[in-house]
Amino acid sequence: MANPLTLLMPVTPGVNPAAIAAALAKYHDQIQVALTSVGTVHYARFVLLDRSSPSLQPGAGTGPFVLGVITEYDGDFNAYIQDFVAKVGAVFDALLAFTVGGKDVTPVADHISAFTDYIRKYDLSQQPGADGLYQAYPQTVQQILAAFE
Amino acid sequence: MIDYADVQGTVLRGYRVDLARHFVLSVADAARARAFIAQLVDGTGGVPRITTAARWTKKPECFVNIGFTCAGLAALGVSPAQLATFDRAFQRGATSSDSTEAVGDVGESAPANWIGGLGDGARVHVVLNVWVDDNPAVLEDVSTRLRQAWAGAMTELSAHDAQALPDNFVHFGYHDNIAQPTVEGAPPRKRQVPDDQPVVPTGEFLLGYQNAYGSQYTVQPTALSTNSSYAAFRILEQDVAGFEHFLTTSASKAGIDPELLAAKVCGRWRNGNPLELAPDAPGTTLPMSKLNDFTYVDADAAKDDTLGLRCPIGSHIRRNNPRNQAIIGTDATHHRIVRRAMPYGPAYDPARPDTIPRGLIGYFINASLTNQFEFLLGQWNLTADFVKSASGPGGPAAGNAVFNISGEDVFLGVNDPSSSSFTLAALGARGKNNTHVTGFPRLITTRGGAYCFLPSVTGLRYLAAS
Repeated sequence: MANPLTLLMPVTPGVNPAAIAAALAKYHDQIQVALTSVGTVHYARFVLLDRSSPSLQPGAGTGPFVLGVITEYDGDFNAYIQDFVAKVGAVFDALLAFTVGGKDVTPVADHISAFTDYIRKYDLSQQPGADGLYQAYPQTVQQILAAFE
Repeated sequence: MIDYADVQGTVLRGYRVDLARHFVLSVADAARARAFIAQLVDGTGGVPRITTAARWTKKPECFVNIGFTCAGLAALGVSPAQLATFDRAFQRGATSSDSTEAVGDVGESAPANWIGGLGDGARVHVVLNVWVDDNPAVLEDVSTRLRQAWAGAMTELSAHDAQALPDNFVHFGYHDNIAQPTVEGAPPRKRQVPDDQPVVPTGEFLLGYQNAYGSQYTVQPTALSTNSSYAAFRILEQDVAGFEHFLTTSASKAGIDPELLAAKVCGRWRNGNPLELAPDAPGTTLPMSKLNDFTYVDADAAKDDTLGLRCPIGSHIRRNNPRNQAIIGTDATHHRIVRRAMPYGPAYDPARPDTIPRGLIGYFINASLTNQFEFLLGQWNLTADFVKSASGPGGPAAGNAVFNISGEDVFLGVNDPSSSSFTLAALGARGKNNTHVTGFPRLITTRGGAYCFLPSVTGLRYLAAS
């Protein structure tokens, strides 16, 4: 069974959302390779929300902005957090430079405990009211890859 | 360069002795406990000096090391803010529900059933270890001197003896103590057992050095950090009659010889020969230089065992060190542990069945209890989905690694008979020809545990003076 990550991180006021988009573009290929290497993530996406926009969609708005990382992954995130950081730590370091409190937990490789707390704090899926995850199949990423090999 | 004289010896050296006694202590008077630590560091007051990893010219008559639980450090005055910088699992302690669930200390293995006062984690402060070559009189003499020295400072909750069985065998009948990680900068092992695995960074076993993640584990205050380490102290009771019954009945159902099943669940024959090098019969015990010199994935199709056809993917040695097999997360180099355990209890004689407790007792050493000991137990021993999709030289038609493992580790798993499972892999797509051994019970029960911090000598001096 997979688990959800709904990481919604407040962006530091004054940060230009274009800079976040540029960072995501810069790391796009590295993220693909890293998540394949970790081998537990079914899907992952990054979104940017504008709290000043009624639709929350970033456009001409001025923020404050929220950076979202949303994934469905297999297994115990906390158990694998160091392995995860080993593969995508540099990406998180780059993104956390834009978020409130992010600099306090970077480089994440040196702040594993604080980074774990940071994720717990901003992961809506670990907060009261989260109602788990619907999934149409129980297989892990690796079981699916093996079945369709 | 590691200053060996600042590191507690058991972290970096195997003492190669036959007797051990592990005292479980509770601090009664912090000031006097500090004075005892000072005596231990300096070898004064009739107390043997703490053993370091420094090279000795003449083998000492005894070896002494000391570990502190989080409650123990707190009792000695380490502040909550400082303790908050320590390993998360260490802070929780071995008896916390998060820890027991992570490592499978549930049911009969739960802390409520632990011996020697170990179940009361708040009172367990110190684990003090004494090893002697083979003379019980020396062990008694050292014990007497230590007890006199800590009288009034610490209360002895219990003492647990260990005695090696001949030729490094353990109660389940296997030759043990073969594979250990090669730690960067550590003294060479006296009995080198070469393997083809990467050298593990120092920081996986000592605080203050680069670890496998390019970072360092450290704690505050600084005096407690560099050259210190952590260990899980464990008392693991082995059900020898139950294990032999499992082998006989399950091998019969699977249609194989019980000794082959014994080899399959371990990954080695009982004489120590690995299945990768001796797949069909135990043969004569290989020289030590060969016993650990193998791997699982090889470009040479004749040597490749991606599918676990020779050494099952769910075997004990392959689960606990997958070597170069593809696994989720990173790789095997990131979750190694050093084992310093010795049998306790008399050898089991099947002609005279008894219920005397027997098993293994000792330390599992690492720089992160969370990412090494607990990860190893919780992920690789208690799950079957850490293996990446991989096929061998025969392609998918011959199988895929993902389908060739099931259940939990036969030795260290919880193994509820209603769900226990061990896979004997055979050629065929998606494991269609595999045999599953099922319905077996837990064979090793946890009788005690404590998460310990093994301070450097500098750290011990700090604790003594603080």
